[in-house]
This record gives sequence, structure tokens and C-alpha cells, in this order.
Amino acid sequence: MTTDTTSTRRSFLKGSALLAFPLAAAAPAAVMADDGLKARLARLEDEAAIRELHQTWLRRINTRAGDAATPLFADTEGTAFDQAVRSIAADHAGQPDAIEVAADGKSAAGRFQCAVDIETTIAQDCTLARMAHAQGGGFVRRTERRVLKVEYVKACGAWAIAKVEFALV
Amino acid sequence: MPGTPYPKEQMHRIAYTKLSERQIADKLSTVAVSGPMSVSPLSDVFASKSIRIVTDKGPALTYTFGRTNRLSVAENGGGAVETGYGALTLSSVAFFSHMIPGTQRGYAVVIDQDTNLATVFELWFSGYQDNREVQREIYYGYVEQPGQQAPKTRHVTTNRVEGKGFYWKQDNGAETLEFYPSAAYSHFVELSRLGGELGFCGPSDYIKINDELYIYTRTECEFSGTFTLYVMDLNRVEQIGMRLGFDTNDQLEYYVFRGKGEWLGQLAQFEKFGDESGAPVPAAAGGETPAKGARRVYRPLRTMPKMSKADVDAVVAKRTTAFAAATGPAANMGGNRGPNTGWLAGKTLTLRYDNAPAMEYRFDDAETLNWRKEGDSSWTKARYQAWESMPGVILFGHLLEGAPNHDGHSIVVDFHQGLVTCFNGYLNTAYFANEAGVKILFGVIEMEGLTPPKYRRHYFTDEMVGRAVSQNYAPGLTSMHLYSTPHSLSWIIFTESGAGGLEWSGPAAYVKIRDGLYFMYWLEEACNGTLGTILVNLHTMRDVGVGYHCGAEGLSMSAVGAHERLAGRFDVTRFYQVKA
Repeated sequence: MTTDTTSTRRSFLKGSALLAFPLAAAAPAAVMADDGLKARLARLEDEAAIRELHQTWLRRINTRAGDAATPLFADTEGTAFDQAVRSIAADHAGQPDAIEVAADGKSAAGRFQCAVDIETTIAQDCTLARMAHAQGGGFVRRTERRVLKVEYVKACGAWAIAKVEFALV
Repeated sequence: MPGTPYPKEQMHRIAYTKLSERQIADKLSTVAVSGPMSVSPLSDVFASKSIRIVTDKGPALTYTFGRTNRLSVAENGGGAVETGYGALTLSSVAFFSHMIPGTQRGYAVVIDQDTNLATVFELWFSGYQDNREVQREIYYGYVEQPGQQAPKTRHVTTNRVEGKGFYWKQDNGAETLEFYPSAAYSHFVELSRLGGELGFCGPSDYIKINDELYIYTRTECEFSGTFTLYVMDLNRVEQIGMRLGFDTNDQLEYYVFRGKGEWLGQLAQFEKFGDESGAPVPAAAGGETPAKGARRVYRPLRTMPKMSKADVDAVVAKRTTAFAAATGPAANMGGNRGPNTGWLAGKTLTLRYDNAPAMEYRFDDAETLNWRKEGDSSWTKARYQAWESMPGVILFGHLLEGAPNHDGHSIVVDFHQGLVTCFNGYLNTAYFANEAGVKILFGVIEMEGLTPPKYRRHYFTDEMVGRAVSQNYAPGLTSMHLYSTPHSLSWIIFTESGAGGLEWSGPAAYVKIRDGLYFMYWLEEACNGTLGTILVNLHTMRDVGVGYHCGAEGLSMSAVGAHERLAGRFDVTRFYQVKA
């Protein structure tokens, strides 16, 4: 299932309104509707959890908070994120965010268009570079539009990041 | 017969005494009580007055001034201490300085009498591993006025002085050229003390009192540690201030002075328009609280590797590189060098120097040459690179494998004029074996179809003296050269905001190749030992050149190339003329 973050709330309200009538009108159909509703609710909850996980991860990247008490990654290998990335901001000029939860509800994939601030450290192999570092500089910053492709896994009832990849837009 | 007072050792070569705290205390003991010396009459602006200075994050100072340059001071309501002081005034500013007897501390206080704003400098010795280096902390505040609320504004750090330069003559006869090409450092040429041969740099503070009046400080870190502070009136070009420290002979200098000067010009600034902020180099790393008196100080001598001749021989044998690939030594410095030329490929020529053995060359291709000194039978193959900066003018460089001092040549050949100039770098120099020295070789090109001149040569020039030129070598590697004297230049490193940050300097020379084309070198002496050579083309505003460096990682020759911008020029050549 793919949802747009900009339309999720509206879709949910719309869906809820449509579902309200059948629940009251037809009892046999209510069982099916109940299953569908549960499944939909589960997915919405999954999406919300993933979105919250994504936001938490972004906060950690942008604040350079490092390892907080709550692990966000499925394994420690995944935490070795590209240190050149200094901050990530939503690219509101790009495609809406998309989160797709697998049918079994155990994995998901997210696509987020973003503006990435990348900082590359300059090697201290000459006087100029050494002096630049000595005064707190010595790096090159640039902002690039990228697509953040994230894979998620659900384990023990909680979502975690399995893989993060930056792709060119 | 008095002559130009050239020092036996330049400042960066003096082994300043490591004074102990006890020695400093002894030397301060008398002066701390009597107060600073002064050639000019001291001001009685404070005589018989009492004031209380309140600072934002520093002490409250209660002063009671006597009639004869005596005061008592109480810090933070503590017991009053009596001491001598010296005061001077300039425009609306009253300035005074004193030490605290029995301590190694003192104060310099600047008060704007129009606004009652005060800036207080606490000064002390023995606050750094080199006890003689004066430390300073700056407190912003005001003079308390009974019945009035505290003013909301303060004097502030600024970049409004950045780019200026002045000639100053103090009332004691000391003459200097002082340049402020950075908002965090400054560059000064001691004309009367050291003969004006070289310029030197020190960390500096720039504080705005108003649009005309500014406070400047300089600490001669890496040298004597002497602290200079003055208030300058930019329109009147007058100064009042103080100097505190120990000279080359460890004599205490503590005096206040009055001076007059001449405006020398204004360099461009590279911050965004509207940015007038000062102190562009943070005192501590991000998120850390700086310690009292903390500042970023470039200490190149302390950090450079110091190698013996045996060390150099060993490291050169182990690793020598010439024009390494993009990831090689100092590769970024060649980021904007432009395309190489293959014009020399297949050619044979002799560079006949007036003051060194002739060098014979056979160029195999665009990156391989064979050289031998005239008279030798065997050729030595070497990797080289060449750039044609102006039609007919080519710069190329190569190492001289097997030379006892591991020489490297950076050569400009002008095929239109038949002339050559070579900066001959070499190691095993007097102070540190890995520090490069340079010999300047002038001569002519001998090759088929070219008749060189008999007497004409490239020649030293002062046409670049006073100029400032910025360089962008690669993204994030941006600096500015200030050609401050005929024999030295200073380099300023820009911060991310485009402000001038750390700054240092070294011996240099400038050779005119053609109008608008200058071949120059600088030596990073007591720094990291590099010989930098560049051919500056003022028409294209690009420089190309060669860096020659030996360190723990080996000997390297690497390409240098930058896009440049003219940043302005100071009117200084008249100070370096030989006068009858």
C-alpha cells in the first residue's frame, strides 16, 4: 500500500466516513468489513509508526545526537550511516513521501525526497588545509536533492530501519 | 654610524627564553607598583575621581584615582589595592592601564566618555605553557552612573576594521606598518625595530566603539608573547594604547603610547553584504565553553615536524613523489591549475643560468623529461608537469633525484624573450633539515631557432608589493596573499563566512616575467617548511605553480593552481625604498 503523507489524514477521514454507513446497515457484510477495517487500521498504525521512526531518525541525524537510548536500526551495522551527511530536510518541491507496507506486515519500504546537506572533510595535507581545520573549518558543504530509500523490518512488534540508501533524484 | 636596524635573528628564528613564573614575577614587581611608562604626558582625566565599572560576564571594578597617576582598585567588592597607572585620551575615549601589585595580572580599560560604555581587558602572564605570552580576556560593560539605568548597548566585536592598513609612528619613535586583512589576525611590519624586512602575524581582536573609533589588540604568539592594544581614530589616524611583554632580551616593556599614522588603503572584504560581525574564528569547538582567555592561535612551529639531515635522507629514500595523482600530497592545492601543456614534448634545450650550472633537458613527452648538468655524461629521468600561463611562457617543475640536498626546480621559461628564472628549492637547511630553502637562478634559454638576449634578464620587482590577491584552489580551500614587503608575504585563510581568519607569513620574493605576469615564491619557515612557487597572471587571474615539501610522509613536488581575485592594494612601496 502506498500512501502520500500529504493525503493520509484526508484519506483516513474519508475512509472512516464511508465505512460508518455499512457497519450500521448490513450485518453479514460487517464481518468482512470488520476484517478489512482491522487490516487497514493495522496498516495505518504501521505507517504511523514508520513515520515516527523516520522522524526520530532524522532528528538524530540533524542534531548529531549519535546513539540514543532507543535503537532505531535492526542491527548495529545499519547505524554506520554516512558521516558526511550533516542534515536532511524534506524537499517539498519533490514527490510526496511514500511508505509501502508489505502484505505480511513484517517489512516496509519508504521513499522520501529530500535535500541533503553533505559535508566533506578536506585532507590536512597542506598548510592551507591545516589552518582551515585549526580555525574550525576544513570541510566543503553542499546541498543535493536526493531520494532517501529506506527499508524497514518489524520485529517483536516494533519497526526498525534495516537499510538506508540515498539515490539521485 | 647608525644603520638600518636589521636583527641578528628574525622574530621567527629567535629562541625566546622560557621565562619562569618566578622570573616574570620579579620583573613585574617594580613596574606593577609604579605603573606604565609613557613618553607623552599622561592624562589627568581621571584624577581625583571614583568610578565603578560593571561588566556583563566579568568583574565589577571600583576605581579611586589619585592626583599623580595613582589609583586604588577593588575587584568584585574585595579589598582595594593601590597601584600606578597611565591614562591617555583620544577623541571621546579615555584609556588607562595598570597592573595588580603582587600578581602577574593587570587591566587595560577603554571608556567612551560619550556613552559611558567600557571595555575591560584583563591581562595576565603565566597562563599558557609559554609563561611570557600575555593572555587576555575581554569584558564588555559600562561605567555606572548614579541614578541611571545601565545602558543596553555594548562595544562589539566587528569586521569593520578588516581590510584596512596603516603606517603608525608611536611617540617613542617606534614605526610600524600594520595590516588588518583578517577579522581575527593581523599582520605587522616592524620598520624601526627590525628594519622592515619581513612581516609577522598575531591573533587580534577588533572591537567597535563607534564608526570612527575601534579597539585593536595583538598578541605576538609564537614570538615574544608581547601584547599590544590601542584605540584608533580612523579619520584622525591617531592612536592611544599600551604595550606589555618581554622583549628579545627579556626586558619588560610596559608602556602607554600615543601615535599618529597614515592611511595606506583598503582591501576588499569577502563576507556577505550586511555581515559586520567580528570574531569569526570561534574560541572553542562547537558546543564547548571556551576557557578564560581562550582563542584559536595558529602555532605552526609547535606543530611542524622537525627533522635531522639523516631523517630527511631516510624519508626521501623511502617516499618521493612528483605530481602525484589526485589523491596524492597536497592534491587539492592544484584543483584550479588548468590543463597541462605538452608543448615541451620532444624538445631539447639548455637553461644557462648566470649563477648556477647550466641544465640540459630532453623532454620525452608531456610528463617525462631527462636532465643533466652541463658537463655530466649521464641523463636522469624525472616526472614533470608544465603549464602555459601566457602564450610563450611555460612554468614547469621537477625534482633532481640524486642531488645531495634533494633539490627541486620550479622554472619559468619565456620562449618569446629567451629567458628563464628558476626557484631552486633544497633541503638540509640551517634550522630544520626538512625546511626548504631557495636559490633564485636567472638565465637564458638555449635551443635551436632561439637567440637569447645577452644582458637582459627577468628581474626582481616591487610591482606586487602592497597588493592582496585571493586564491581559490579547490572547494573549501580559499586564501588570500598579502604581499606586504618586498621580501615577505602573508597568507590569510578565509572562514566559511568569507571572513579573514587565521593568518601567517614567510619570506618571499617577486620576479617580473612580463607586464601582469609575476613569478613568486614564499617559504613556510618555522611553519611546515614548504616552498611555494606560483606564476601569477593578472590578466587571466589564475595562478599556476609548484609546491615543494618534505615531511614525515616524504618528499613531494605537487601542482598548485588557483582562480584569483584582486583584493586591493596598500600604498607601501615608499616605506621600503633605500634612502640616501
